[in-house]
Amino acid sequence: MTAFLTVLLALFQIGVSNPNSRCFLCHGKANFGVVENGKFQSLYVSPKDFSTSIHGKFTCVQCHTDVKVIPHFIKPRKIICLQCHFEGNTVGAPVKWMPEKYKESVHAKALAEGNPNAPNCETCHTTHYVKSPKDSTSATNRRNVPELCGKCHTKEFEAYSKSIHYKALENGMLGAAVCTDCHQEHDVLPPNDPRSALNPQSVVNTCTKCHSDTLLMERANVPVQQPEAYSESFHGIALESGMVKAANCTSCHGHHDILPASDPASPINPRNLPKTCGKCHPNADQNVAKGKIHIIPSEKSAGVVFYVYTFFKWFTLAVLAFLFVHIVLDLSGFIRRKYARHE
Amino acid sequence: MDDKIPRFSRSWRLQHMLLMVSVLLLIISGFSMKYSETVWGKVLLFLEGGFQARGALHRLSAVLLFITAIYHLIYISFSKEGRREFKSLLPNKNDFVDLKNSILYDLLKRSEKPAFGRYSYREKVQYWAFFIFIFLMFISGVILWFHDFFFGFFPKWAFDVSFALHGGTATLVILFLVLWHMYVVHLSPANFPGNSSFWHGYVTERWLKENHSLEYEEMKGLREGKKSEGKED
Repeated sequence: MTAFLTVLLALFQIGVSNPNSRCFLCHGKANFGVVENGKFQSLYVSPKDFSTSIHGKFTCVQCHTDVKVIPHFIKPRKIICLQCHFEGNTVGAPVKWMPEKYKESVHAKALAEGNPNAPNCETCHTTHYVKSPKDSTSATNRRNVPELCGKCHTKEFEAYSKSIHYKALENGMLGAAVCTDCHQEHDVLPPNDPRSALNPQSVVNTCTKCHSDTLLMERANVPVQQPEAYSESFHGIALESGMVKAANCTSCHGHHDILPASDPASPINPRNLPKTCGKCHPNADQNVAKGKIHIIPSEKSAGVVFYVYTFFKWFTLAVLAFLFVHIVLDLSGFIRRKYARHE
Repeated sequence: MDDKIPRFSRSWRLQHMLLMVSVLLLIISGFSMKYSETVWGKVLLFLEGGFQARGALHRLSAVLLFITAIYHLIYISFSKEGRREFKSLLPNKNDFVDLKNSILYDLLKRSEKPAFGRYSYREKVQYWAFFIFIFLMFISGVILWFHDFFFGFFPKWAFDVSFALHGGTATLVILFLVLWHMYVVHLSPANFPGNSSFWHGYVTERWLKENHSLEYEEMKGLREGKKSEGKED
């Protein structure tokens, strides 16, 4: 009798101190699981990780509403995030635009078409350890995004892992571009969709977002003038005016495996430029490597172009001043002579 | 006194017309690209039917200008009339004296108007500016047009120089046209509100006497020499 009371008291104690403790009695054991269709399925939930997650303050049954008695012997229904994250919910779950954006994505479309591998909210955000992306242990933290997407997109991750962006990320440059910076987070769209950030007409803006950020580029030691120079170049103007076949950033720099020009494997390495330019310009040879590519004529780094530009600037101003003064003199002389004649 | 005097031959007027049409088209189609990010650039691009049509128009007008230039070179080299016109367009020392006197006259430091021949320094500067401009535009334009071909000959920076040269010269062309040409031939007090001799080739005797007195004297002398009776003043 005493032993029974002690156990009851112990259970009660646990229940009072942490309402989830009763769940973790089983689910908190690392090897807890069931065999389903001949496969072991883990039902383990790390109590520590769960309690530090954004949902740590909730009880298990607040989401698993169909679990009425513990222990339960039925399989609980799948949780739908929108069961809390809807407009007018009473538990204070934030309602943001992300689910709506997600509905437009290729992922949602694939899911709707019945692809069992298509990612849903929990595929990226995890089921029990949802954390703010600012948290470095979050699956959606910038540092962890490439590995997260790479779980399914293995080929792309392999290419990306060679890139300077990934190298910078590994070296702690959290500003370096990860998958979501270019592919968008929730509304991942195919590049031929006009709403995609990777549409030929938008891709320049997508790269420019970071590559015109003076502070970020200074830290990364990358020149910041490239986007401006590009937009003033013939390629930039043609693309802006709707010529989709005009070269955009990715045409020369590649995309997942972007490397600096100094790297011999980079398509913009001077030795590889004839081949890179040759994709569109059949006669391109070593000549295309002679001279800077992204130039702003008004800056000294443009070399000989700067001097041509500067000459024209001052010559045009001088001609303008001379012609203008001459015209003003002519007219004032005419008026003064006329006035003198009348007197 | 208000008799009409033929001043520009049919060939001369045709050349001017071709030059005017081709240069205007080149300016419109060129600047709609250079300033494609501005509202006016976008309006022009729309009117021209998009970026590719703009390029086609630019190249087509360039061909027209090239034909005009060749026609003009043949005209000034091989025709008697052309050689005479070219000779009167050649700059000489008198032009600088005329410029100085003209400015002194405008400043009321000189009472008499400088006497100009068939072409004064005002017209000569336009002619030679356009002569040089068209040469520069032709060289840089051909490099840019046939860049795929020239990739085998020129380094990358040569194309950037051509691009800068083409744009810089274009601005000068506009400057000369809008400011100087418009003023000298249309808006100056002697011509206001406009001079249409580029169209029909005639000017009035009074106009010629006032603005190109040396040419007038010369013409009168020629006419008096030809006919026994001279025109009354």
